[in-house]
Amino acid sequence: MDYTVGDIAPIVLLPFFAFVLNSFIVKPFTKSAVAISVLAIFGSFIYSLRIFSDFIFNVHSADYHVHKYFNWFDLSYADLVFKVDLGVYLDNMTAVMLLMVSGVATLIHVFSTFYMKEDARFGRFFVYLSLFSAAMLGLVLADNLLLFFCFWEIMGFCSYSLIGFYYEKEEAGDASLKAFMTTRVGDVFFLFGILGIWSVVGSVNLVDIYAGIDAGVFDGVTALTIPLATLTAGAIFMGTIGKSAQFPLQVWLPDAMMGPTPCSALIHAATMVAAGVYLSLRMYPLMVAGELTTFIAYIGAITAFGAATLALVQTDIKAVLAYSTISQLGYMVLGIGVGAYNASFMHLITHAVFKACLFLAAGSVIHSLHDHHTDSHVQEMPRMGGLRHKMPYTFIAMVACTLAIAGIPLFSGFVSKDRILGDALLAAIHDPSYIPVAALGFIAALLTAFYMFRMIFLTFFGQPRDKELYDHTHTEHLSWNQNVPLLILTLFTLGIFFSGSISGQGLVKVFPSKGYEWFNTLIAKPKLEKFKYYTKQAWSEPHQSKVSDYTPTLYDPSHGMDQEAAHHVHHVHMIGAILSIIIAFSGVFLAYLFYHRRRFDPAWWATTFAGWYRSLLNKYHFDDFYIKGVIGKVLLPVNAFLGWIDLGIYDRFFVDGWKQVNTLFYKAARVFDDLMIDRISVDGVGSSVKLFNVVLRTVQSGKIQFYFIMIFLVLAGYVWTL
Amino acid sequence: MAYLLNWILWMPVLGILGLFVIPGQSKGAIRYWSLLNTAITFVLTIILYMNFNTEVAGMQSQFDIRIPWISQFNIYYALSVDGISLPMIILSGLLFFLCILSSWTIEKAVKSYFILFLLLEASVMGVFMAMDFFLFYLFWEIMLIPMFFLIGIWGGENREYAAIKFFLYTFFGSIIMLIGIVALYNLSGKGIDSFNIVALAGGHFRDLTLNIFGYDLPFNKFFFVAMFIGFAIKVPIFPFHTWLPHAHVQAPTAVSVILAGVLLKMGTYGFLRIAYPIFPSASVYFGEAIAWLGLINVIYGAMCAMAQDDMKKLIAYSSVSHMGFVMLGLAAMTVQGMNGAVLQMFNHGTSTAMMFLLVGILYERSHHRWIVKPDGSRGFGGLYTQLPRYSIVFIIAMFASMGLPGLSGFISEALIFLGIYEKFTTITVMALFGLLIGAAYLLWMFKRMFFGEVNEAVTGYSDMNWRELSYMIPLCVAVVVFGIYPAPVLDVMRASVGKLVVMLSLY
Repeated sequence: MDYTVGDIAPIVLLPFFAFVLNSFIVKPFTKSAVAISVLAIFGSFIYSLRIFSDFIFNVHSADYHVHKYFNWFDLSYADLVFKVDLGVYLDNMTAVMLLMVSGVATLIHVFSTFYMKEDARFGRFFVYLSLFSAAMLGLVLADNLLLFFCFWEIMGFCSYSLIGFYYEKEEAGDASLKAFMTTRVGDVFFLFGILGIWSVVGSVNLVDIYAGIDAGVFDGVTALTIPLATLTAGAIFMGTIGKSAQFPLQVWLPDAMMGPTPCSALIHAATMVAAGVYLSLRMYPLMVAGELTTFIAYIGAITAFGAATLALVQTDIKAVLAYSTISQLGYMVLGIGVGAYNASFMHLITHAVFKACLFLAAGSVIHSLHDHHTDSHVQEMPRMGGLRHKMPYTFIAMVACTLAIAGIPLFSGFVSKDRILGDALLAAIHDPSYIPVAALGFIAALLTAFYMFRMIFLTFFGQPRDKELYDHTHTEHLSWNQNVPLLILTLFTLGIFFSGSISGQGLVKVFPSKGYEWFNTLIAKPKLEKFKYYTKQAWSEPHQSKVSDYTPTLYDPSHGMDQEAAHHVHHVHMIGAILSIIIAFSGVFLAYLFYHRRRFDPAWWATTFAGWYRSLLNKYHFDDFYIKGVIGKVLLPVNAFLGWIDLGIYDRFFVDGWKQVNTLFYKAARVFDDLMIDRISVDGVGSSVKLFNVVLRTVQSGKIQFYFIMIFLVLAGYVWTL
Repeated sequence: MAYLLNWILWMPVLGILGLFVIPGQSKGAIRYWSLLNTAITFVLTIILYMNFNTEVAGMQSQFDIRIPWISQFNIYYALSVDGISLPMIILSGLLFFLCILSSWTIEKAVKSYFILFLLLEASVMGVFMAMDFFLFYLFWEIMLIPMFFLIGIWGGENREYAAIKFFLYTFFGSIIMLIGIVALYNLSGKGIDSFNIVALAGGHFRDLTLNIFGYDLPFNKFFFVAMFIGFAIKVPIFPFHTWLPHAHVQAPTAVSVILAGVLLKMGTYGFLRIAYPIFPSASVYFGEAIAWLGLINVIYGAMCAMAQDDMKKLIAYSSVSHMGFVMLGLAAMTVQGMNGAVLQMFNHGTSTAMMFLLVGILYERSHHRWIVKPDGSRGFGGLYTQLPRYSIVFIIAMFASMGLPGLSGFISEALIFLGIYEKFTTITVMALFGLLIGAAYLLWMFKRMFFGEVNEAVTGYSDMNWRELSYMIPLCVAVVVFGIYPAPVLDVMRASVGKLVVMLSLY
């Protein structure tokens, strides 16, 4: 099975051309021109589906990958060689990712035609959406980190533009600036990681990096007195921290909700923020080589827990979802840290589906609730309530997704999250330093179930709290571009699409057939030893799918463990699964008691623990620390000081000061001129001549006796000197 | 083809002769004549590019013209191009052409303005083509005269101060350079090649010493420093940079564009053409010092930019920062770093030209450039709503300037970083933060000017007209095309830069 340029390139190029085309379409046609964007992304989806089906129906061997490139530019001269190639790297993971991105993006495009249709900048929204889709798909296909970084930054630009989409609002400007700059902090480190890898591997190609790690090129190399593997792994993980909004750079994502809701669904929930996790997954061998996994696990656990606590007190429906996104991304990062490679990636996929759906559902709700007094849409949950009667389809979608994110069995979130927690538990048993990680993971699961159902109860259950708003809301009818995308996404929140068993641990096998375990079959940690056998190919060269020196391995469900070890792992996973089921249900039940039955009064808790409540409302003072502290107290004053020094001091005194020196010089010169040259030298010559005259005049007196005396004296002097 | 360089060099002079004939009050004729003239020059530079052989590596070795001029001193009228000067020549051709379009609104002494402008073009072309050191110096000095008057007559409120400052600063550097030229002439035996830049290259003066006040100084290091100061003032490298904010703020838009887009590159071009080839061992010796100075430029320029309330001053300081990247690339002396440096010279030329042109467009409407006025109120606000076309072009220029992948600045910066990492890791780490601050000051400026409700002062502004679009669009295209596909520029410079790197690697 071979792919040509025509099979892969359209995935990226279709949305890209839609972007180019749409940017040149002017006002009266923009509304209809968005069809180009929708069709283009649908085209990408078809191409991705074809590749994915090849992979899932075992057309390829387990180790199959395509790696094709072309030369971007070549700086070689004589024996100095420096080439930069661009290419695609397509393996199992890419195929799954492509399907998810293009699928979710297509549905969001469709939903956007509903959500944005009254917006004056309808066309421009799709311009950005198409560019973003092209960049994200390009990132997934990129064969090297430099290209990956390019798409990564372009996505950052799209994110910046879409957060600032409502540019009449001052806060949109603040939010977009904050988002771009915060992620840029991570990006700068990422770029440094690229440089570090390039210095030892000689390229930043994924295949070359894997082969290089296997060959030990990082061994014993240090930079800045730190082992290079650790340094580069850390630098690249900083990229993940920035893009995936991990602690301590999580501050930008809640503000990013200023953008239109479909963009929050696509960029700030399903794809771009997940790209950070995708990067760390791709660089997993480097993370291991750099011995960074414990650190990663802690970052993930802290983020998962911290963001979950912040979600407890949010009243804005999008803010709840934003914090839950940060928290779920924390789970993925935690998964990477504890070695749950497969589960972490699965959570990336399942989360993308249910979180995109949650955002679209929230968008539906926001769009329906129109406040006629202020002519704005309502996002505050305290003004909602009882909406399940008005919006039945949205209600179904949102509840299903909430069940998924809360980790209720039979739903996709349970399958993936449970496996991350199971592996965390396993890690904690083997290494006590992981105990806090596992503990935070389980507590965050409880909080997740709680705050998500809090949102459901506040939004859809109970009595409407703003009666006027409720009465103005139209009852929902099934429409192809509002509800259908939601319902399609809802369907894929069922666990069955990801695993044949309820939990993915093989606890209760619903479908015993191996075909349903496609995810486990396809996704496994990269086997480093195989990469040295591969040679990359130019687009023009014929494909060689098999390399003679290497026999591809078949899927091994026990991951190479012996019977006893496998049994032990199974045992721990079982405990983990039971624990997380109990936790999920208790979270839901607590939310039910708090927000539906009103057995506990949230207001009482807020006043009793006022200190905690306030620090949660203030997001643990991170914003204050960064904006008021680091930027306001350090960066800006230092800049202002330097700016003042530069023109006010340095230029004024040390450069223009030369003028003063010159003036001094010139004054001194004038004095010198007057006194020394004029008075003494020039005038002095005159006066000395005068003096001479006087002397001569006295001498030349005409007295002959005087002459004789003079001659005598001269002669006497002469004789005396002899 | 043999006389192509003559044509490019003398075409602006022909234009000046024509302008002498046109009466001063027929402003339209003057403008169109100048436009036509610069357009022809630009087309000639494109023809030069199409006939350029990218495989020839020699320094200044194509399209040679060599005619004895002052034979007593072996001074030649010698012109030629190579892969380092060609991108600069094309950049100059393009920017002068576009700047004539942007100078359409000049109403004061139109004839003199365009005469001086064309004189500036001729001298700039001369600097990039000269192969005779004396001729190089001559053009280098001639360039000061039109610049002095263009800033001093058509500039802002404080123009005379800025013009004199610019003149004295640059002239100081030139004098130091002149000493070097004379010393080289004497030491190389006053022979037929004593002013020949190509013949002087290659480290002939490696073992010479210089006796000054009884101390034996290594000749090459001493004169490398002399040349360095001469070029450093032009770049400008910290601490010789303070003329730049004044000159930029006071200069009329087109002159700012030429100043930032072309004249600054003459400094770094001087390193590549004169200082590195003639004193290779000293260049290698001072490599790390240059890298540190480049780093200071990057960080200090960016931090100063962040402190500015005047838009044009901010962009002037951003030039200081971006030219620091060029210096980092030059200090690396690796194939990536040097190519990156030359590419950055080209890319910064286009992106910074866009920024200055945009400031000029806004200034024609607002007659001020305050991001934040001295009394603390916003100078602008809500420009995004008021000027949608302007905003889009501004976004392209801004992101090109901060090095967004897909736009031109990224590739050159990435190459420079790849080049410098191998040599100076610590400096690389610190310079990377320049990228961070570089994004911060631009986006912060953008936020304060473009977002929010439409400011009262801004309501009367009209969006960009066709004339303004006509000179912005070519630059937008250049920035996007070379961002996605830089190979056309890199192919031109590859061999020449490679040869220089190989030569430096021997020392």
